Amino acid sequence: MEVKLDKRYPLEVDAARAWQVLRDVKAVAGCMPGAEITEQLDATHYKGTVKVKVGPANAAFGGDIEVKQLDEAARRLQLFGKGADRGGSSASMDLTATIEPGESPAASVLVGQAAVVVNGKFAQFGGRMMTQVSDMLLAQFVDNFRAAAAALPGPEASAAPAPAPQAAREINGLAILWNLIKGWLAGLFGKRA
Amino acid sequence: MNAPERIAALQGLGDSRLRKEDARFIQGKGNYVDDIKLPGLLHMDIVRSPLAHARIKSIDKTEALKVPGVIAVLTAEDLKPLKLHWMPTLAGDVAAVLADGKVHFQMQEVAVVIAEDRYAAADGVEAVQVEYEELPVVIDPFAALEPGAPVLREDLAGKTEGAHGKREHHNHIFTWEAGDKAAADAAFANAPVTVKERIFYPRVHPCPLETCGCVASFDPVRGELTTFMTSQAPHVVRTVVSLLSGLPESKIRIVSPDIGGGFGNKVGVYPGYVCAIVASIVLGKPVKWIEDRIENISTTAFARDYHMDGELAATADGKILGLRVDVIADHGAFDACADPTKYPAGLFHICSGSYDIPAAWCRVKGVYTNKAPGGVAYRCSFRVTEAVYVIERMVDILAQKLGLDKAEIRAKNFIRKEQFPYHSPFGFEYDSGDYHTALKKVLDACDYQGLRAEQAKKRADPNSPTLMGIGLVTFTEVVGAGPSKMCDILGVGMFDSCEIRVHPTGSAIARMGTITQGQGHQTTYAQIIATELGIPSEVIQVEEGDTSTAPYGLGTYGSRSTPVAGAAIALAARKIHAKARKIAAHLLEVGENDLDWEIDRFKVKGDDAKFKTMKDIAWAAYHQAPPGLEPGLEAVHYYDPPNFTYPFGIYLCVVDIDRGTGETKVRRFYALDDCGTRINPMIIEGQIHGGLTEGFAVAMGQQMPFDAQGNLLGNTLMDYFLPTAVETPKWETDFTVTPSPHHPIGAKGVAESPHVGSIPTFTAAVVDAFAHLGVKHMTMPHSAYRVWQQLKASGVNL
Repeated sequence: MEVKLDKRYPLEVDAARAWQVLRDVKAVAGCMPGAEITEQLDATHYKGTVKVKVGPANAAFGGDIEVKQLDEAARRLQLFGKGADRGGSSASMDLTATIEPGESPAASVLVGQAAVVVNGKFAQFGGRMMTQVSDMLLAQFVDNFRAAAAALPGPEASAAPAPAPQAAREINGLAILWNLIKGWLAGLFGKRA
Repeated sequence: MNAPERIAALQGLGDSRLRKEDARFIQGKGNYVDDIKLPGLLHMDIVRSPLAHARIKSIDKTEALKVPGVIAVLTAEDLKPLKLHWMPTLAGDVAAVLADGKVHFQMQEVAVVIAEDRYAAADGVEAVQVEYEELPVVIDPFAALEPGAPVLREDLAGKTEGAHGKREHHNHIFTWEAGDKAAADAAFANAPVTVKERIFYPRVHPCPLETCGCVASFDPVRGELTTFMTSQAPHVVRTVVSLLSGLPESKIRIVSPDIGGGFGNKVGVYPGYVCAIVASIVLGKPVKWIEDRIENISTTAFARDYHMDGELAATADGKILGLRVDVIADHGAFDACADPTKYPAGLFHICSGSYDIPAAWCRVKGVYTNKAPGGVAYRCSFRVTEAVYVIERMVDILAQKLGLDKAEIRAKNFIRKEQFPYHSPFGFEYDSGDYHTALKKVLDACDYQGLRAEQAKKRADPNSPTLMGIGLVTFTEVVGAGPSKMCDILGVGMFDSCEIRVHPTGSAIARMGTITQGQGHQTTYAQIIATELGIPSEVIQVEEGDTSTAPYGLGTYGSRSTPVAGAAIALAARKIHAKARKIAAHLLEVGENDLDWEIDRFKVKGDDAKFKTMKDIAWAAYHQAPPGLEPGLEAVHYYDPPNFTYPFGIYLCVVDIDRGTGETKVRRFYALDDCGTRINPMIIEGQIHGGLTEGFAVAMGQQMPFDAQGNLLGNTLMDYFLPTAVETPKWETDFTVTPSPHHPIGAKGVAESPHVGSIPTFTAAVVDAFAHLGVKHMTMPHSAYRVWQQLKASGVNL
């Protein structure tokens, strides 16, 4: 099962700081709920894990990440990740993420395109919720990303203390479900308003 | 007792006696495979591939063997020395028992874990580490035949000759044709009217309530293997196991205990069985393997998956002149179809249906894809469901094109009563039928004209909240495979058998080569004997399924039990009857010709007071048999049918489709079946209700969708539609009786007709609701969402 994502997230931090987070694969992984880089093999290769629970599908993916391109000038990261879990699921992601200038010098936009392929039990059980779950995960990711970027010393020497690095926690199925329901309800009432 | 009372006491043919099986089933006292517990029993679970097509780079058992309770992990490498890593299929192909270097479909068996309990086995499965290298996946059978398509079966490299002739592409299995192409082409060339449509019959699964499983128990001291198995064909399995294992057939005992539904799912030999047997032989302990639901739907025995291009040629007033059907058959990764050896597309060439079509031709191409193997006859004789579906859809499409009524076009093209035995353009000899009488009965019972008038009124009303559709299907099956000159499985002719022993006190036991899976054999077989021999059904035991006691038979599928084994019973009984006559003549001191048979006794002609009942005769057979006649009263008969039987039916369905939601409500379903002589009307009705319900499931909801990566997105009962009493419509049943002239009691077989006949009836009804909008055909299943899409496309949704 393949899900293609094409997203733009406005950030309230300048492009330089946003890029500083994005170019650090470990930091990027830290922003992803449930994800963690466990080992750096060489300059472009890493090993990592992602734990996800969605409804009856429960997966702990372990796998490899390869940074295929790190374009400082264009502020673009391209990576390919691939992993499998012991319960009979496998997944891969081809991701291109770019930091574009925002509407003001103090803002920027995180632009991401990804093709996520999921196989096995995870696709069979979780397939129907893939798009919604991906949206949810990305929203959490972007929140963390914003926070991480804002925490970096900025051009105007922001005084905010750097938040403690987030412990890798598994993606919580209940929380996701709640957010899905919230989103659905909001959609319902939004239409009527 | 007077004669009617004596007939009633027998509970023979035509009696709706209650099912003997039910007493144990409704008390939870059935004995299924998973109920079998043997001392020292080990449990097996299977490591399966998450990917549909991949090379196996490595399999690491180390962690699995450390799991407490895990005893062994087997892979293809372990089976190789035994030459059991591949096995032959019924269709002349080979199938991997455990993946040999490559996986060909999702959930394919990669390794097995044997452990002291089921939990440890499951933990062991999680601990086996398999490294895969993904390969491009082919799901679409048309894409599989493209020149540059990935090679799925590397093991067949260079093999240009398959089991059914030349292979023309690396993913091509066979091409099979029937009929006369030149004659059909000529009919089309000159026809005033032709129609053509792609009719897709999606992949579905029989999904019996009980999944597949076995308990294999090898006794290393005596060198004997006993396997309890959910098999619809235990004798065939014994032969296969003997051929594979090298054990003499006499040291193998296959027992099919109570079976919770088969529907074709339990005909084949699956890797799980082979691995459990190997594990038991290697470990010297009994090993149990039971599928879970996901494994069952994903891997054992799908059905259908036929892409059929149907064509009809006709005169302007609707007389059919020619038929052509060209099929691409998706067989999955291995050709494991369960068909008679000579017929890789089963009996698909029954596709000229109930109609007298002068020229016809069909062709089926089998294709490999990255899907599970199977291709079983899901509650039908081999590929008959597909055949009936295509012809019935095409006749409707032709009627629509010509503006003819769908009942009228059928009556016009029916084989007439006086044409039987009828030779079809595909070479079948239809034994008997009376289609016009049956059609009239249904049309009258349902007030067909009234329904059409109501439909016309609804169509004229733009504010009608529903669309009304009327489906009418007039089908003919070919069942009771089959004459051994045409039908064999692995070289064994498709006869069936019966052994009857009448005990001294007049009760009896019958042992059969078939095996009931809910059909009620223990009830109905006894009724045949009761009428033949005058022994009450109540004292006749019927035993099946144990190869050590039952005579060799080909098993129960394809509606063959009554047409084949039912005939074997009648003829075995008649052998006993002939001996009983000799004994009676001896006892009554008259000539055999001076005796008349009456219900349960031989009586001297012209003297009602001088008679011997079968009970008297049984006693005499064991202690005062006539001189020169051996004692005892028993017989065996192996019946090789001279022909198939051809049950038929006329089904009518009325649906109301909600224009807002697309939901289809079955307002009325009227099923008239003609299965020849009726043995137990109550069981027939039950079988028809069951078949209609399964047909409803297929037509309205069942599907096995695959994504582009080969993930099966519907292998749990959350997704796969199994109707309950809540969804199931009300059924009305009716019948006519046209006995089979070549069957000893005239019976034709019934349990599959309702499945075969109802599926196109539902489609016809749903499509008919849209017919006035120019819609000719819609692909199953007719779920609310899909119907709603059609409502939108036709611009009539509310």
